[in-house]
Amino acid sequence: MNYLEFSSDAFIAAFFLYCFGFIFYMIAIGGKKWSNRDPKAHVKRWSRIAFIVSILGLAAHLTFFFTRWYGSKQIPTSNMYEFMTFLGMSIMIAFVIIFAIYRTPLLGMFALPLTIIIVAYASVFPQEVQPLIPSLNSIWLKIHVTTAALGEAFFAVGFAAGLMYLLRVVDFKQTSQAAKRAQRWVEFTLYVLVVIIGFILTVFAFRGAGYEAQFLQEKVTIDNRGQESTTSETVMYTMPPIFKPYNSITQKMDSFLGMQEPLLETPSWMNGVNAGRKLNTVVWSIITGSLLYGIARLLLRKRLGAAIHPYMDGIDPEDLDEISYRAIAIGFPVFTLGALIFAMIWANIAWSRFWGWDPKEVWALITWLYYSAYLHLRLSRGWQGQRSAWLAVIGFVIVMFTLIGVNLIISGLHSYAGV
Amino acid sequence: MFQNTKCECGHQNHIGTVLCESCGKPLGEELLSDEPLEMRYDGVARRSQKANPNFIDKIWNFFSSVKIAVYLIIITLLASILGTIFRQENLLNEDPATYYEIQHGTIGKIYYMLGLSHTYESWWYTTLLVMIGTSLVVCSLDRVLPLYRALSKQQIRKHLRFILRQKVVYQAQISGDETKIVSALGEHLKKKRYRVHMDGTALLAEKNRFSRWGPYINHIGLILFLLAVLARSIPGFQMDMYVAVQQGQTVEIEGTSYYIKNEQFTVDYYTDDELPDALKGTARAKLYETKAVLYECTANCNNVTQEPVLKEVDRHDIVMNDPLIYEGLKAYQSGFDATPRLEAVKPVIINKETGEEYGPFELEIRNPKTSFEVGPYKLELHSQFMEFAIGENGEPTTLSREPNAPAYLFILSGPELKAGGEPYLYFPNQIDKLQFNQDALNRPIADRFEIKVNGMENVKLSGPTTYLNIRKDKALPYIWIGATISMIGLIMGFYWHHRRIWLRVDRGELSLGAHTNKNFYGMRSDVAWALGKAGIEVDPKSLDNGGNKT
Amino acid sequence: MGAYRKKVQIVILILVVLIGGFAIGNTLFRGDSKIPGVGDSPPGFSLFDLNGNAHNLSDYEGKPMVITFWGTFCPPCVKELPEFQRLYDKWHSKGLEVLAINLSEADLPVQNFVSKFDLSFTVLRDVNRKVERQYGLRSYPTTFFVKPDGTISEIAVTAMTEQQIQERVEKLF
Repeated sequence: MNYLEFSSDAFIAAFFLYCFGFIFYMIAIGGKKWSNRDPKAHVKRWSRIAFIVSILGLAAHLTFFFTRWYGSKQIPTSNMYEFMTFLGMSIMIAFVIIFAIYRTPLLGMFALPLTIIIVAYASVFPQEVQPLIPSLNSIWLKIHVTTAALGEAFFAVGFAAGLMYLLRVVDFKQTSQAAKRAQRWVEFTLYVLVVIIGFILTVFAFRGAGYEAQFLQEKVTIDNRGQESTTSETVMYTMPPIFKPYNSITQKMDSFLGMQEPLLETPSWMNGVNAGRKLNTVVWSIITGSLLYGIARLLLRKRLGAAIHPYMDGIDPEDLDEISYRAIAIGFPVFTLGALIFAMIWANIAWSRFWGWDPKEVWALITWLYYSAYLHLRLSRGWQGQRSAWLAVIGFVIVMFTLIGVNLIISGLHSYAGV
Repeated sequence: MFQNTKCECGHQNHIGTVLCESCGKPLGEELLSDEPLEMRYDGVARRSQKANPNFIDKIWNFFSSVKIAVYLIIITLLASILGTIFRQENLLNEDPATYYEIQHGTIGKIYYMLGLSHTYESWWYTTLLVMIGTSLVVCSLDRVLPLYRALSKQQIRKHLRFILRQKVVYQAQISGDETKIVSALGEHLKKKRYRVHMDGTALLAEKNRFSRWGPYINHIGLILFLLAVLARSIPGFQMDMYVAVQQGQTVEIEGTSYYIKNEQFTVDYYTDDELPDALKGTARAKLYETKAVLYECTANCNNVTQEPVLKEVDRHDIVMNDPLIYEGLKAYQSGFDATPRLEAVKPVIINKETGEEYGPFELEIRNPKTSFEVGPYKLELHSQFMEFAIGENGEPTTLSREPNAPAYLFILSGPELKAGGEPYLYFPNQIDKLQFNQDALNRPIADRFEIKVNGMENVKLSGPTTYLNIRKDKALPYIWIGATISMIGLIMGFYWHHRRIWLRVDRGELSLGAHTNKNFYGMRSDVAWALGKAGIEVDPKSLDNGGNKT
Repeated sequence: MGAYRKKVQIVILILVVLIGGFAIGNTLFRGDSKIPGVGDSPPGFSLFDLNGNAHNLSDYEGKPMVITFWGTFCPPCVKELPEFQRLYDKWHSKGLEVLAINLSEADLPVQNFVSKFDLSFTVLRDVNRKVERQYGLRSYPTTFFVKPDGTISEIAVTAMTEQQIQERVEKLF
């Protein structure tokens, strides 16, 4: 039996178990108001089922992780696919730990979709095992990456609880200025989540259809002596080009809904690596996400937040506030250890300096500074509850930027995990 | 403004005290509210709070404020973000003066002019770090001493208002022997590892007080860390340089008395079987290793006029993640260049008319001898060009000092040659010979004579060059110590929680208040558990006195 | 207690000013600390000339000096050296010294060059780019003008015309 094949099967199993777990959670909460049953017993029963299914999902996920480790003879955390799946797994572990403390099964209602999104996002990246370059071949890398991911997973649970808190307390019926602002931002957060789902769906839809387009891009570089030189490179698209690369000609393009030619050209000032393709992907994600969001709004006939809000009744907001804070408080030392201290130890061995102001390092520091500011603010009056929940949400945005955004936008030593 | 700081229990408190240090009765503005009490630092006054602050006090109070600390953190965070917008100078190979404008246009130019291209080395970023460091010292000192004093002499019987304005509160009428009930509760709490103190019908149960010191220990670690980072800028504390050592060569490590030799360099590549399809056929290094020897110079150092005397002090096979370490000096594997270069050739002279062959003679590429006797012929090296080119004035010239396209102009003399010799331009590299058309340049002599190398056995190629990063960092141990202390503090502060329960019975009415610095959920379940054991059933949630209201 | 607290405050604030001042000062004046700049004294060296005689920088103490780095592979250097020769002829009697440090080339090209242009000032041979690195060279030619008091009065990192060299040399006296 091939371990790598077995591990991918386990991965698929984990993914579906998570999805079922999420559906059961929805039944648990949504079925409260069904007739002929005691709401309390219903929630208890179904959230129990949902939790067990999620735990099975985690078990399958762990199976995936260890068989892949065994099969490839290296810990699967060395490329974006492996790292993101590991992060998803860590979120589940963090969720189980927080659950063990607080016994609030409904937390899974938000931790699970987060895991599902991240695991699905991971599948966007190439899944094959890649051999390590020598600088990555160190025990400290493994320790650094796993610990950092675990710390970030607790921040993710803090985010999930914070978002739940907001959906619980932001009243979508109020019309005061402050309430309206809060409603708008909650709705925007949900919209962003939908756009991310839109991104994943678009990738898989076009991948399933086998879409391809190819461009030849000419790049003019000016060297130090002021001499111009032109290089051309082929750029592959897997989504129909709304934006083609700057200064490029179409070599090959599958037609899409009658679209034969790229619609627009990427502006010249976007000159990062593969800027055109990234812009195109972002635009597609926003289009698909907005479509999804629009359909949801049509079906629900109200804002998503307003639709979810009533189901959150009966959950104690102060518990959510504390869970969010507690998750971050548990995650903070783990994150410090993994993302800063172990990272420094490894950097000192691999690159012979413990700190080099590489963008990824700086963003880890930014994350750390952000959460230390959060923890200090929690001590002051007036920073519990809604403000604190918003901070937890923003914090997770920073975490995700550190993990993904830095690789997409800024290049550096960590770009081995590139997209 | 006159402020009475004497509590009704008779205790004289410091200015700024929120809760009487002795009985816990709320003072000042806290007295007026019914909200749960602000229990930070147990309501003691910050050490430096004074009625009439002078200039020094004002500076001190500035740094003593947590609000200022949070602002400093936020500003540092934003400044750090600015530094990641464009690539920093230290990661650049190009000249920073032109790079930013060429790459990013006007914005890049402004970025460079504002000094954001070296944010993390700038004076203002360092100022921010210094201010954070100051804030760490002052904030901690101002709070930890009063807190220590307050926690080490706690009164057991607290003021009723103090108890009833905690976040976890229980109040009920009880019947029976009051002292017995209180001591029974105390016994139960002991099982939960509480330390229980009794004073008649009053009780104080406390656990994990040490976790209160966590933040301060963390801060001490951070201060040590920052000082260690700072110490690195003291001359001699650290060194960071790269040396390129060709196989077989010994190179001086500048600024030290050490020399390092590359005895052998080997590189392993991944085989195609090990690579995924996309990478097949590419040379992806799996492992590279330098067999290195470290020498110390014992005499004639730093003197070009004499050969230095070297003594071997250490040897190590350096691979990635495994440096040579000798007395604080570390040599890391950084990179390599395996491209072979010509080092010397052994050409022969051929008389094309007779077919006779003479030689070979050895021609070193970089520093050749200037005259050779080969058979009956004499070769005088007239000039050498490391990277041959024809200059603007039509004369041969060199474009660099690296042997990228070496060429040698010989004056050939001997039988069948003109008196005074004839010039012959020789290119050792076959590719240069064709590119510059050696034969055409050498006409007419090229029809009668040829200088050429017979076979690869007459070519000496250079071994691979290894790039080593030489480091010295005396501050490193302190960095790790600081980080470790900081980590211990974090763990103490975040994974243990200081929990206290105050209880008193007044005329048959039991009043209980409990406080923790984190995790009220756990606090409530502890109280509910103890009460349950004593026969009072309560739902943990009902103990909540509110407080998180926004 | 009160007086004691005051002392602690003052001691800590003084420490902050000292340590912080050191840290900030370092960032302001670092960067080029190792590389000689205007006003610094040029790093000492000991190098051979073409005849195998060792020359120390300290041998030229108290004299106005032009230290220039050159190579045969650098066209502006090739143009500049004869100009230095003319100025040297003019000013040597007043004490001017020209030290032309070759950029670690082989014997022959240097030898050829010197005899071709009949250079009579001191031509020195750097080995393995050692002195070049000490002087923090980034591009060629680079010329250091050193006043008799042993400080650098100017650093030219570009090629100069004879006129420009002349103006700079005049300032050394």
